[in-house]
Amino acid sequence: MSVEISAERQQVIAKVVDSWRGLGWQLLREEPLAPALNVALDEVLTRRVGAGERPPTVRFWSWAAQAVIIGRFQSVRNEVREEEALARDVAIVRRITGGGAMFVQPDATITYSIYLPERYVEGLSFAESYAALDSWVVATLRDLGVDAWYAPLNDITSAEGKIGGAAQARRAKAVLHHTTIAYQMDTEEMAKILRIGQEKLSDKGIASAAKRVSPLRRQTDLPRAAIVERLTDGFRERFGLVAGELSAEECAAAAALVAEQYGTDGWTHDLP
Amino acid sequence: MHGEYKTPGGKLVVADFAVADGTLREVTISGDFFLYPDEALRDIVSALEGAPSTASEEELAARIQAVLTPDVTLLGFSPEAIGRAVRRGLGAA
Repeated sequence: MSVEISAERQQVIAKVVDSWRGLGWQLLREEPLAPALNVALDEVLTRRVGAGERPPTVRFWSWAAQAVIIGRFQSVRNEVREEEALARDVAIVRRITGGGAMFVQPDATITYSIYLPERYVEGLSFAESYAALDSWVVATLRDLGVDAWYAPLNDITSAEGKIGGAAQARRAKAVLHHTTIAYQMDTEEMAKILRIGQEKLSDKGIASAAKRVSPLRRQTDLPRAAIVERLTDGFRERFGLVAGELSAEECAAAAALVAEQYGTDGWTHDLP
Repeated sequence: MHGEYKTPGGKLVVADFAVADGTLREVTISGDFFLYPDEALRDIVSALEGAPSTASEEELAARIQAVLTPDVTLLGFSPEAIGRAVRRGLGAA
């Protein structure tokens, strides 16, 4: 399943990535938001980009509170110790992309989303589009001295362990690609809240999730904000980037989606 | 019943279900897989609902395959992986 991408396909991917230069990319800088609002914004911005109401956009996230963000198809019961989460004031939010649960704490992760019209990944398989959309991050991390590479399907990894994971959804003819990178990790707290079964680690040759991940803090002395800045510069150098802002309309649409969907128990427990 | 199977190098599939009158009931399929479009999960679950509890991994996979339209993409898992998770839940991997 984790098939390496052939040299020939790497060239196709590189050509597609090159075509993203000069699309008028807009940057949305980090702004601490409530977890459900962060997730709702992804849907709003994806649809807006798909409808041509906003240019292709890259958004860096920041968390106002700790939370568990579970994948679209995960069962809450199987992934989260709900009583522990509740007792520790950790919100559980279901996102629209597949993939695994992540435990996020303010300033412990680096999360970004890329929104672009689907036509800009035309010719790539789903799997190839994952590698393409994180290629600038892998290159920038390498420039920072971190020996990172992409591990299909959806991991940014290193000799010391996994650094980050990506997930995608498609809506309204646009691609949402978001990635969370571990900057530092409170593995004790994480182990109290997330359930990580042995089957999930069955092909990893290791006994715990904590050992599986190697946060950037262990691999570089740069503070988190400096890494975000370097990633932003890395994106700008490759594709061009202008400063942008969320419109009042986008904020209102995201708040409405929190009320209707992302903040509701029905959605969170869609797969109980 | 509860069964899990992780495709090597791929994603985890979890099957939760009951068995009544020799058939699968109240089936839930979950996991950290990627599936496009989302709604395909409903079709996968309905393909399993009512399947005989004696069905083999291959037979379960064939039932799922039969309801997948060409526009559906499974990433990191497969109908066979789902079949195996169900078989594990039945105690016969």
